[in-house]
Amino acid sequence: MEQATSFIGFVIENLFHFLAFTAFANLTVGHLIMILIGLVFIYLAIAKEYEPMLLVPIGFGILMGNIAFVPGFKIGIYESGSVLNYLYFGVSQGIYPPLIFLGIGAMTDFSALISNPKLILIGAAAQLGIFGAYCIALMLGFSPMEAGAIGIIGGADGPTAIFLSSKLAPDLMGAIAISAYSYMALVPVIQPPIMRLLTNSKERVIRMRPPRTVSKLEKIMFPIVGLLLTCFLVPSGLPLLGMLFFGNLLKESTVTKRLADTAKGPLIDIVTILIGLTVGASTQATSFLTPKSIGIFLLGALSFVIATTGGVLFVKFFNLFLKDGNKINPLIGNAGVSAVPDSARVSQVVGQEYDKTNHLLMHAMGPNVAGVIGSAVAAGILLSFLM
Amino acid sequence: MRYIQVCLITACMMLTGLAGVATLNAQSTLDLRINELLVHNDSNYVDDYGRHGSWIEIFNSAYNTVDMGGMYLTNDLQQPTKYRIPKGQMITQIPSRSFLVFWADNRPTNGILHLNFELKDGGVLALYDASGKTLVDSVKIPDQSQHDVTWGRLEDGGTQWTYLKQTTPGSSNLTASPITGGERFVKVDPKGFGMTMIAMGVVFLALIVLFLFFKFMGWSLNRQGAGAKHAVPQSDMPEKATTSGEINAAIAMALYMHKNQLHDHENTVLTINQVSRTYSPWSSKIYGLRRNPR
Repeated sequence: MEQATSFIGFVIENLFHFLAFTAFANLTVGHLIMILIGLVFIYLAIAKEYEPMLLVPIGFGILMGNIAFVPGFKIGIYESGSVLNYLYFGVSQGIYPPLIFLGIGAMTDFSALISNPKLILIGAAAQLGIFGAYCIALMLGFSPMEAGAIGIIGGADGPTAIFLSSKLAPDLMGAIAISAYSYMALVPVIQPPIMRLLTNSKERVIRMRPPRTVSKLEKIMFPIVGLLLTCFLVPSGLPLLGMLFFGNLLKESTVTKRLADTAKGPLIDIVTILIGLTVGASTQATSFLTPKSIGIFLLGALSFVIATTGGVLFVKFFNLFLKDGNKINPLIGNAGVSAVPDSARVSQVVGQEYDKTNHLLMHAMGPNVAGVIGSAVAAGILLSFLM
Repeated sequence: MRYIQVCLITACMMLTGLAGVATLNAQSTLDLRINELLVHNDSNYVDDYGRHGSWIEIFNSAYNTVDMGGMYLTNDLQQPTKYRIPKGQMITQIPSRSFLVFWADNRPTNGILHLNFELKDGGVLALYDASGKTLVDSVKIPDQSQHDVTWGRLEDGGTQWTYLKQTTPGSSNLTASPITGGERFVKVDPKGFGMTMIAMGVVFLALIVLFLFFKFMGWSLNRQGAGAKHAVPQSDMPEKATTSGEINAAIAMALYMHKNQLHDHENTVLTINQVSRTYSPWSSKIYGLRRNPR
């Protein structure tokens, strides 16, 4: 009898011990909020098809990262030796972003840019969002390195944001990455009102010249010259720009089709899965839900607004110096925000609202891909100035 | 033409090789520096045996790990190979921007970090590479060294030597916490407007250079095209279709199925069903008996 009682006591004691280890026992309100955010991401990705390739892994990563556990068992993403920690190494050390840029380079056609090189400058103007957010972040009391990392959200480039924040402000990387990807997904919501506000009915129907045919030689020259010119000026942008232009050379040379196919197919897919999942999992409520994160989200939104404004206003300014017939439709100014190809698609959609026969997509792709280069250059500058 | 190509490739390979050598030299044992030393150690740093001896600090100024194994330390330039640092030891591998301390106490039996010579006022300390011929770094020791005050570089790996205010064996000579570029920037530009102007300027400059290059290139190509009006450039010729055999087969099969109403109800789905084979135990045995017994 006594033996049976002690056995039951032993079982109950272990049962309580087990219960103490479950996520239910360790759950906090923060974890619940984060799980809710993860679910919203997954909903937006699947039901609304907002950047599903990114939001599904990130959303699921948020769920994984916010299963409350007792630390010490090599489970969590921040615990040395855990599987997630190994996968997160590529994020924390800035390995994944250049690999993604390799894939982006292999799938990007720079023809629109080469045929009308002045569109490159719109990509530069839209980087105002980065530095506008940097200034505001400084005024709000963030440290210079934190401000630089937050500012890069305005570059609308997830890999660049992760790369820079991993160097400048690793503690804020989760919030910055989530913010950047969220606003990239929300580009179709954020940009159109600003574009309508800053343009008049006459400007919105400007027809642009059809782009000329670009020769193979020019396409091959672009990544080589692009690398040499931009990286000689900003060597700290080399990991991103080097991989971007290398990927593009693989594509345009046409003699390395297999390599280009791998870079733009399986490789970028694998890295996207890993980066999305681990960035999502890095948003553990304990480290993520802070007043700083809220500030980062607000500044992120602001940086997108400034970037879009910068791009549109720059086109209007640029048009003052262009002859009739050569003028640029300011509705492609927003495409300098390098959320490829969403912001270019926004140009097309908004343009079609005012003239069904005016197709701006091809023209908008120019500043769009220039924005990718511009944001990588801006990241390089921030890195060299602030480190 | 072929000869020129071969020459070009050879030249490129030679240049690459030269660049490689330069790079290797740039981040190798040549980046090691004598960083700090103490001649008269009365009550300063203590070795593993509890003794106060003269010591030398080596700094790896490279951004990769450098192995000191096989190199030489000496206090006599006429005898460069006086103390050979043993090879194949973990302890002699100095990580990037890190330090290693040797004891110049003339007690080499106490361990590989204990040298077979001592430091003397007015003497010299030199570090040679593994050949024993190339001088990597050397320092002239002051004639009357202060007791318990180290003679070292003001900045790690820098050129200026002085008596250091703090003894820092195995760590940076700069004891004040370093100021980041951002902190320096904020001191003169607290609101970030200056940074915005400079950075936007650089972004524009980078992209303007690209713009000008491709503007000029497009213009130049257009001119060439105008010069050869009747010649059809190779790049403008329609590309020959290079569809693979598998794609052609798939298209042909899809057309055949469509024509014969064999296609699936779902769009974009092509189903290839396996021909069913009725099962019987006999047929199974037949399959099994197909292989010839050995």
